[in-house]
Amino acid sequence: MTAAAKLEIPGLDRIRDRFVDMLGDRKTTIAQHALAAWDGKTADDINANLTAARATLHLIAGTAGTVGFPELGHSALHCEQEIIDHLDGPDAVLAVCPGEIIWRIDDFVASCNKITA
Amino acid sequence: MKILAVDDDPIILELLTQFVASFGQHTLLTASSGPEALDLLSGDNAQTFDCFMLDIQMPVMDGMELTRQIRALPAHAEAPIVMLTAMSEKRYIDGAFGAGASDYVTKPFDVVELKTRIEVIDRLVRNRKPKNTKIFAANTLNEQLRADADFIELHAPISLHDVENVIECNAMENYVAQLSRSSLFGSTVFAFSIRKIDGFHNALSAAEFKFLIEDIAEIISDTLTGRQFLMSYAGNGTYVCITESGWRPDMERLTDQVNLYLNRAHIISNTGQELHPRISTGAAIRLVWKSGDQILNALGQAQSSAEAAAEEHERLKTDFFQFGRTA
Repeated sequence: MTAAAKLEIPGLDRIRDRFVDMLGDRKTTIAQHALAAWDGKTADDINANLTAARATLHLIAGTAGTVGFPELGHSALHCEQEIIDHLDGPDAVLAVCPGEIIWRIDDFVASCNKITA
Repeated sequence: MKILAVDDDPIILELLTQFVASFGQHTLLTASSGPEALDLLSGDNAQTFDCFMLDIQMPVMDGMELTRQIRALPAHAEAPIVMLTAMSEKRYIDGAFGAGASDYVTKPFDVVELKTRIEVIDRLVRNRKPKNTKIFAANTLNEQLRADADFIELHAPISLHDVENVIECNAMENYVAQLSRSSLFGSTVFAFSIRKIDGFHNALSAAEFKFLIEDIAEIISDTLTGRQFLMSYAGNGTYVCITESGWRPDMERLTDQVNLYLNRAHIISNTGQELHPRISTGAAIRLVWKSGDQILNALGQAQSSAEAAAEEHERLKTDFFQFGRTA
C-alpha cells in the first residue's frame, strides 16, 4: 500500500458516529416516504413521496462510502437511480409506484438496520 | 487559501472541514445553503474567498444558480468553483460548467483525489495573486501605466462569464479530462479562429479587444443554439468547442453561418469604426477511442487546425491578389 493510499480524514470516527446517529432518522424518513408512495392514489402524490425519499437517499449515497460504509452507499445510489429513472420515464404520469423500487428500498432499510442496531 | 464549502448535508461539511484542516495552510468556512453563502459574500462584512466548493443539488437554491450568482460578484468572477457531485448528478455537470464551475469532484470523496484537486487549485490561486498585486500597484501610476497593466496578451485565454455555454479554459481541460468512456463515443471537439486576429489585437485597446472576443463568442454561441456544447476561449482568437451529443458538425456550413451572423452584427469599435471580423474553422475531431493525454491533445489539435485554416485563408487571399504580379 502506498503512502497516498493510507491517507485518511482525521476525526473520521467521530464523523462516522454522527453519520450512524443520523442514519436512524434518515432511514425512517425514507421508509415513510416509500410506504406513502406505495399507498399513493395519484401520480403527483406518488412522485412527491418518491422525490422526498430520493433526496434523503442522495445524502446517504454521497457520504456513506467516505465514512466507511461503501456497500450502503452503493445501495442508496441504486435506489436513488431507480427513482430518477422512474420519474424521468414515461410511467411517471401514471398513478403507479413500481414494486421494484419499494423492494430495493426495503433491502436498503434492512441494511441500515444492521448498522444502527 | 480561504475556501467556502456549501452543502446541505452536515456530514459533508464536517468531512471537508476535517480534511482541509489536516493539510496545508487553508481555512475552510461552511454554509448549508445558497442564501447563507451569499450572505457571507455580500453586505458590509462581505468576505472574500479564494475558492468555492459547492454541492449541485440543494434545496432553495441549487449549486448552478449559486455559481451564477458568485460569478456575478466582481471579487469572485475568477475564483475557482469546484462542484461536489454525486454519481447520480453527472447529468447536471454540463449545466454546472456552463454556469461557471471550474471543476468537479465526485461524492463519496476519494481522499487522495480530493487532496490532489485542492493542491492544483492552490497553485492556480497562487499564480493568479501576483497578477492582481501588479494591477493594484499600477493604480497609483499614470494613465499610460494603467493601460499597460490592462494589456491582454494575444495568446492568453480570456475568461468570458456572460456568454451562454462558455467556460474557462482550465475548466474545459478539467471537463474533457473527466469524460466517461461512454461520453467519449459521442464527443467531438472543434474550433473557430478569428482571421487576422493580430491585426485586431494591435489596433484595439485591451477593453475593446475583450469586447470583440466576447461579441464573437456570443455570435458563435447563438449559432450553436439548440446543440449541446461547451466552448472556451483559448487565446490567439481561437474558441475551442466540445459537443457530447453525437452531433457531427458540418464545419463548412458552420463557418458560413457564423460569418453570416458576424456580417449582420455590425461590431463597432470605441472610435466608431466598424470592424469586420470573420472566422475560419478547423477539423472536427472525434474523441472515440482516445484516452488519457490523447483527449487533451485533441483540444490542441482542434485549436491548431482552426488557426491554420485562418492563416491559410489569408494566404490564399494574398496569393490571389498577387497572381500575375511577379515574373
